[in-house]
Amino acid sequence: MIELAIHRPGLEAPRAMTPALASSFTCVLAFARRELREALTSRWFVLYGLAFAALSVSVSYVSLASAGSEGLAGFGRTAAGLLNLIMLVVPLMALTAGAGSLAGERERGTLIYLVAQPVSRWEVLLGKFLGLAAAFVACLCGGFGLSALVLASRGAVGIDSFVMLVAATSLLALVMLALGFVISVFSRKSSVATGVALFTWLFLVLLSDLGLMAGSVLFKLRVQELFALSVLNPLQAFKLGVVQGLESSLDVLGPVGVYASQTWGERLPWLLFGVLCAWGMLAFAVAAFGFSRSSTA
Amino acid sequence: MITIRDLTKRFGRVCALSEVSFDVEAGEAVALWGGNGAGKTTLLRCLLGALRHGGSVEVDGLDARRQGKAVRARIGYVPQELAFHDDMRVGAALAFFARLRVESLGRAAEILARAGLAGHERKRVRDLSGGMKQRLALAVATLGDPPVVVMDEPTSNLDAAGRAQVVESLRELRRSGKTVLFSSHRPEEVRALADRVLVLDGGRLVRTATPDELWPSGDGGPRSTLHIPDSDRERALEVLAAAGIEVLDGVRDELAPGADQLARSGVCEAVRGDAQGAIQ
Amino acid sequence: MLVSALGFAILGVAASAAAVDDTRTLGVERIVALIEASSDGETIQIPAGTYVGNLVIERSVVLEGRGEVVIDGGGEGTVVTILAPGVTLRGLHVRGSGAGVDREPAGIRAEVGPSIIEDNVLEDVLFGIDLRMASDSIVRRNRIVGMPLEAGRRGDGIRLWWSHDCVVSDNWLRGVRDLVLWYSERLTIERNDVADSRYGLHFMYSHETNVADNRLHQNSVGIYLMYSRRITLRGNSLRQNRGPSGYGAGLKDCDDILLEDNLFVANRVGVYLDNSPSSVDAVGRIANNQFVYNKVGMLVTPNTRRNVITENGFVENEEQVTVHGRGELSGNAFHELTEAGPRGNYWSDYPGFDLDGDGLGDLAYEPRYLFEDLLAREPNLRLFVHSPAQRAIEFTARALPELRPAPKFVDPDPLMSPPASRRVGPGPDRGNLGQVALGLALLGVSTAIGLGALRAAAPGTEVC
Repeated sequence: MIELAIHRPGLEAPRAMTPALASSFTCVLAFARRELREALTSRWFVLYGLAFAALSVSVSYVSLASAGSEGLAGFGRTAAGLLNLIMLVVPLMALTAGAGSLAGERERGTLIYLVAQPVSRWEVLLGKFLGLAAAFVACLCGGFGLSALVLASRGAVGIDSFVMLVAATSLLALVMLALGFVISVFSRKSSVATGVALFTWLFLVLLSDLGLMAGSVLFKLRVQELFALSVLNPLQAFKLGVVQGLESSLDVLGPVGVYASQTWGERLPWLLFGVLCAWGMLAFAVAAFGFSRSSTA
Repeated sequence: MITIRDLTKRFGRVCALSEVSFDVEAGEAVALWGGNGAGKTTLLRCLLGALRHGGSVEVDGLDARRQGKAVRARIGYVPQELAFHDDMRVGAALAFFARLRVESLGRAAEILARAGLAGHERKRVRDLSGGMKQRLALAVATLGDPPVVVMDEPTSNLDAAGRAQVVESLRELRRSGKTVLFSSHRPEEVRALADRVLVLDGGRLVRTATPDELWPSGDGGPRSTLHIPDSDRERALEVLAAAGIEVLDGVRDELAPGADQLARSGVCEAVRGDAQGAIQ
Repeated sequence: MLVSALGFAILGVAASAAAVDDTRTLGVERIVALIEASSDGETIQIPAGTYVGNLVIERSVVLEGRGEVVIDGGGEGTVVTILAPGVTLRGLHVRGSGAGVDREPAGIRAEVGPSIIEDNVLEDVLFGIDLRMASDSIVRRNRIVGMPLEAGRRGDGIRLWWSHDCVVSDNWLRGVRDLVLWYSERLTIERNDVADSRYGLHFMYSHETNVADNRLHQNSVGIYLMYSRRITLRGNSLRQNRGPSGYGAGLKDCDDILLEDNLFVANRVGVYLDNSPSSVDAVGRIANNQFVYNKVGMLVTPNTRRNVITENGFVENEEQVTVHGRGELSGNAFHELTEAGPRGNYWSDYPGFDLDGDGLGDLAYEPRYLFEDLLAREPNLRLFVHSPAQRAIEFTARALPELRPAPKFVDPDPLMSPPASRRVGPGPDRGNLGQVALGLALLGVSTAIGLGALRAAAPGTEVC
């Protein structure tokens, strides 16, 4: 009547680890897998994936179609279109997904049951994060993969640029996911979490840029001030990184870009990468700290 | 096995637990008794390390807060109602928890079978009956063979048949030598399972007694008066009988304020809710 | 960058795989002896082998290497120097010039013309082919790869200095500074392919020249014309020239320039007009070009006038035509009266319509972009291009017409469809397997994660 499950050594904790670490590894992995599977079979996530794929493919297609039949398409133009799309859609997806993760479980009452198991809070959080992250990478790779095929039909993919774009977008998704987790940890209800996530999205995508523009004009900000302020926004850091990757300098972004390229030179990509990573890690740390101290789960 | 000293927990200004101290010996079964807000659930959550608290909570010599993971590995937890991802299949859910609780999948399947859930592995959790869900929760709680089982009103959301099954499973658990700490509303359940009863009131431990001391035999416990419309009288009597509550008198409808609201909200709920409230 | 590096690598392999017998190392004195033994105008077949040293040719001879002869300067001075008129160098492999900038060491230098330099391969040389006062010369079908130095320290791939009536055609240049023409007139510059360099073509005070069918891509600037007159650019392809200035074609103080049938794709700026034409009696004509996917289609300094810009296609440039700084462009004509009636340009962002079906928009094209206008006033705000905020601002401006700035120019007769380009062939990299593979690889990653997740669930379901 009872069949033993297939034993798959690859997924067990490596022997060399200490027992505590091995147990953490198993727990994180278990949560990650469950979260990934849950995301991939959930309606909203499939909807996100399809929407992203449809949008990126149509952006790619439209940017090619307007080029006429001469194969004029440079990837730069398509990338600009994709960049705009990514900056709007990916943070929205990742923030709301992250915000919903814990708050949703808390509201359904499943979270207390999870944390009553022999797991640490950070293991729960990390596992859920990794699972959702993997789901997002899958979703982005799917959308980008289809776009690449559409673009390849006209020879318009710059392979290294495209890989860079996919990697940067994945990183952006992880950072936004981590921010979403922060929101989730501190929200009692998932509706509140979603609301806060939407506002955060609006702020990062639009309000902070508009505010900086106004500030730059009103207070006559110097280029280094404007650069420092704007790069604090992870979304701007992402954009600058992608532009840097495509153009190999930020000169196209006017005096501020020239300043950035000249001041930081070769280190600029690392700076931007560092800003994004710092955001991601800081957000995750805050989420983990908040979650470990939150009394009711 | 469980040592609690001066356990104090505040939610803002509200004092949910205040200086509660007691011990539970290995193999002992202890019930927590008290009304809503008496602090039963809070106490259990402190034990699970889910809440920050004053005082000390130790399980098997380990601090619940600082060594939470190790403590939880020694505790199987059964909630009031299994709250788990409804879309998950029973088998997958069990496998997931088996991984967390370091239990082999083969043994997990055995436990599932012993809980009478063999053949239901491919069902989704949401499609299980209340009794089956609680037996699944019980099965999950015994994964990894923890010495302690903690239950938060494990039968309160079940019908009479479901309850009987669960109580039977609990008896078995008890016989296997586990230390059991549970909260309950039901005297007959406490009587059936507990060696000792801790009476909580307003966050304080007010009395420790045996079930027999609390409810001398023959006395079914405190009495309560229910206001039920005549039209629902037959149904109410049925429900009460099924719930194992002795009905002393024929009930007359007095149309007290609020009675029609009770009636509208469904007589079963009304009966159950009111009975619970009144019995305390 | 990766791709170009790969290109270099392949080229290197190809070059070393050529039928050169490196084992026979000889001195260039052997060649000098052959030359001295010959008479004027004689053709000398140099025996295959590698000849080390600096070769100076002082007699009018034809030297043929058939690709089997390497002349290696050994890292010092100019490898081959031509001091006699009427010399032809053909099929040689020239390498190893000096690297110091002060003496400008070159692969091949002609101090006198005419000379013919064709079918040679030059690599690891500071300057490539350098004509100094060598008029009536022909430089064609040479492959030149510069030293792997940073762009500022490289030498020119081909340089003409005071050398008139020359033909420079079908050369292939990579990783050099410029293909530069100083004080040289009546040249023919055709079908050259220059990439990964500073200026693909660079004119300094060089006049009356035809520049046709060249491919200039991935340079800092495609073509830079400076202080030059009466130059025709026709059928050139300028792609992805994206250096700090990044012009497809830049015109600085040039008069009577004709730009026709060229293709400007994905440059930082398609065409940069810097005070051109500069003389009051001169004009400029920019007709039937395609400006596609550039950051800026055409960038013009303020007060530039007397250009006729007609029948071009401006397709999806981030900014189609803009002024450098503040100002407007009313001194230039964006349409022309032809025998067939007035003709303007095609603008991919033209919002109007053509009810009478004459192929011309019924309303004038008047670009009014608030964000562009803001950029002209506040250059720092360029930091925010590509941001959703930019879209938001344009959207707001469209909703509130009183916010819209005045147009910088007007095209009264916009074309409804882009003019067919007459001369430019298909672009370089068409669809290829690598790109398809990339798409499939990404889909593979996606599928793998998905399947992994579903498989991960399997043990649970197999508990049954």
